[in-house]
Amino acid sequence: MEAIANDFTINIATANGTGSQSANLILLQSIFDMGVPASGKNLFPSNISGLPTWYIVRLSDMGYQAPGDRTHIQVLVNPATWDEDLAALEPGSVVIWNENAKKEMTREDVISYPIPMSALARKINPKIAKLVTNIVYVGALAEILGIDQQVLEESVAKQFKGKDTAIELNITALGLGRDYFKDNLEKKDPYTIEARKKDNKQFFIDGNEAVALGSHFGGVQMLAWYPITPSSSIAEGIIAWTPKLRTDDDGSTNCSVIQAEDELAAAGMVLGAGWAGGRGMTATSGPGISLMQEFIGLGYFAEIPSVFWDVTRVGPSTGLPTRTQQSDIAMLYEGSHGDTQHIVLIPGTVEECFEFGWRIFDYAERYQTPVFGMSDLDLGMNRWACEGFEYPSEPMDRGKVVRDQKTFDAFEDFGRYLDVDGDGIPYRTLPGSGMAPILYRGTGHNTKGVYSEKPEDYLALMTRLKEKIDGARDNLPAPILREEEECQIGIVYLGSMENTIQEIDDLLEETGLKVSQCRIRALPAHSEIVNFIERHEHTIILEINRDGQLYGILRKELPNHLVSRVHSVAYSDGMPPRARIYSDRILAKLEEVKQ
Amino acid sequence: MSEKRERPARAVKLNVINEPKDSYTGGKSSLCPGCGHDQISNVIVTAAWESGIEPHRIAKMSGIGCSSKTPAYYLGKSHGFNTVHGRMPSVTTGAYAVNKDLLYIGVSGDGDSASIGIGQLIHAIRRNMDMVYIIENNGVYGLTKGQYSATADIGSKKKKGPINKTQPIDLCALAINLGCTFVARSFSGSKKQLNSLLKAAMSHKGFALIDVISPCVTFNNNDESMKSYGYVKENEITLHMTDYIPHFNPVTEVEVPEGHYRDITLHDGSTIRLETISEDHDPSNAVAALTALHNAEEDSKHVTGLLYFDNTKASLAEDLGLVEKPLIDIKDEDLRPGKNVLDEINSAFMG
Repeated sequence: MEAIANDFTINIATANGTGSQSANLILLQSIFDMGVPASGKNLFPSNISGLPTWYIVRLSDMGYQAPGDRTHIQVLVNPATWDEDLAALEPGSVVIWNENAKKEMTREDVISYPIPMSALARKINPKIAKLVTNIVYVGALAEILGIDQQVLEESVAKQFKGKDTAIELNITALGLGRDYFKDNLEKKDPYTIEARKKDNKQFFIDGNEAVALGSHFGGVQMLAWYPITPSSSIAEGIIAWTPKLRTDDDGSTNCSVIQAEDELAAAGMVLGAGWAGGRGMTATSGPGISLMQEFIGLGYFAEIPSVFWDVTRVGPSTGLPTRTQQSDIAMLYEGSHGDTQHIVLIPGTVEECFEFGWRIFDYAERYQTPVFGMSDLDLGMNRWACEGFEYPSEPMDRGKVVRDQKTFDAFEDFGRYLDVDGDGIPYRTLPGSGMAPILYRGTGHNTKGVYSEKPEDYLALMTRLKEKIDGARDNLPAPILREEEECQIGIVYLGSMENTIQEIDDLLEETGLKVSQCRIRALPAHSEIVNFIERHEHTIILEINRDGQLYGILRKELPNHLVSRVHSVAYSDGMPPRARIYSDRILAKLEEVKQ
Repeated sequence: MSEKRERPARAVKLNVINEPKDSYTGGKSSLCPGCGHDQISNVIVTAAWESGIEPHRIAKMSGIGCSSKTPAYYLGKSHGFNTVHGRMPSVTTGAYAVNKDLLYIGVSGDGDSASIGIGQLIHAIRRNMDMVYIIENNGVYGLTKGQYSATADIGSKKKKGPINKTQPIDLCALAINLGCTFVARSFSGSKKQLNSLLKAAMSHKGFALIDVISPCVTFNNNDESMKSYGYVKENEITLHMTDYIPHFNPVTEVEVPEGHYRDITLHDGSTIRLETISEDHDPSNAVAALTALHNAEEDSKHVTGLLYFDNTKASLAEDLGLVEKPLIDIKDEDLRPGKNVLDEINSAFMG
């Protein structure tokens, strides 16, 4: 039997709230610390305790981070999904199962490793046997796959930082799982983990914590938030880092945090902070953005710097609240009633989550408008390898704020909404300054900010706003291009699809199709995106949703002759993207285009 | 050609910071002539001027509705924000978090505060945010032409339409139950009372709510309306006479009234003096305040005065644990942690 090293997928089926998350993170961390590229996806229910949850670990020397097409090793702990999980396996798969789960092994065509996980766990402490069970299977997996004991113990120490009792207990449990396999079973499967040279600079972090850190390095002064999955850990991250990053010796802080009564209030607070001259932000998900629509329009029309992070999940409505999707693109770009258009930053990596975390404030203040960060559950809540965060390359851009009388006096004519520089961006003075005070309003207004219903005032205002946001295009993060010479097919994609695109590309290449890639990192679309489309005969717009929202936006804005050359591949079933589903659909779409 | 003769300059009255009253006025009102809201705007101008607050240190906040349009008609030297319907408290909260040194004066209506925005009002009270929150309460939606609001009294009838049978929401009672630290009711026709209550509210640190009955002359000023000028004048129960003694005027210069009175010291050292009319009202007693409101409602009356006051609670700025300086005055380099800090974080993560 030929060994298969570092190229397989483990699926661990447990119940929510049983402590499996920490066990699974120890497994993932250990694999990562052996220098093996790996990704972990937590498929969890909207529930605190009891419902099924799966953790998928993909090991791939190729660096593939999507869950893969199939499970190679199945860990069965949860009786509730036992039969289903078992039935889904391909013949020859490995099944590590809890002998004490009161369920049978019904398949004869799999490699079966029965382990009395609960009984072993009870030996340590009957009261917390449920929790310990999870560590037992990690121990067994370590033995089966060849995970170094020292690496494993270090991961335990990382997971339970400083909690000596927990560390000791977990190490004992790991040993029980490992020893049981060694003493009672024989390895019959081909899967192994081979240590690779580890990039010592790399570490694991989730996108939400990266956004939280980035926000602090952007000098956030007011965070208003309302708890919602999958964004809460951005706010919690900001709160957790505040004592270290933003607090004086006397315990006072320059970063205020308010847990709002709802998302409407959170949005109002963000606008209030921006109006007063501060850096305000909120973090939410699609349902929160739906509730914030009215304020988003006010922010756009009254020109208030404001920052909104949307960690998207599966909609519509409450949808699948703990699953990932890219389905808020249209809502963010054209949010609120009336004609609007918003700047949207779209990170695809944890490094970009950090970078856009601080840059977003600069854009909001530069363009005096709501700016959205669009992450998603996959990027935000799963842990990804990170090369380290780079310190902001430039000082803060506070935009066109007149802060002193001398500057103010130099204006020939001052109007809050007067386009002095021809870039659509007016100057503002701050409340408390005494300079050119106005009553900000969401009603129609002239260049002085005075109420007006005159057609010429309304038209001039709306035209300028359009120019202002359109003018941002090429100042926003440019797309990342991976272009192969003379490729006729291009793929435009965004966000967390970054983690699947290489595998999609390789699958396409297996069929003889070479494609170029263009990852959009902001809206409105950069001119480089148009140029990319221009250079390719056909371009696929690839996204994780049903309707092709990005495709819709691009079609509306592309020059006429390019419209027929872009094609939508949009798919979402609530699961994190799997490469083959998208590569098959791309091939089918191209076939359709040819006809 | 005859030379224009210079008129002798009339002595312009100045306040304690040498500003004329003109520095506190605003644009021309576009509300209906006789609207109670305009009277309140005038009192805001007078109170702010008499209090000697620099106009640019005031922020005018409002929601949507007739009342919320009024910030255009007073304090023309102050920045303001006419926000969205019922959401002025949240916008004010955000502004306050980054600049706690401004005096926030919010104006709202009964539609804005008792219906669409009641949630935000409640939570602003809960947080004890430093602001003056004036409700211009007329029992109807004026801008949409006279529908009942949630403060319309049972048995009251507006100019057109049926008698209101729905239980009203008493925003003062609500505020007292929520532990609001300054709760008053007044009447747009009682300029003197409103003036001293407003000045006291401006001197208060914490959430100061003044519910002002402000008749809608167009849709709800008929005799059958319980929020008409005529009705309120006839049926107002004044809890006490109110006098405001500013901190910059020694108390000794103010005439001490005969009979019983209470002096309440406010956060900036000013005093509000409550002179007993018939029965003594103790504003530190929430139950007494609620009883007064309840009794008045039973008798279809309106009770006015300082209903409830509490100076023991921390305000939002204290709860947020903010630095002394308003956050907007902090330099960029003090907001962004240094490169060494990020280097440390990176290496800690790398383990």
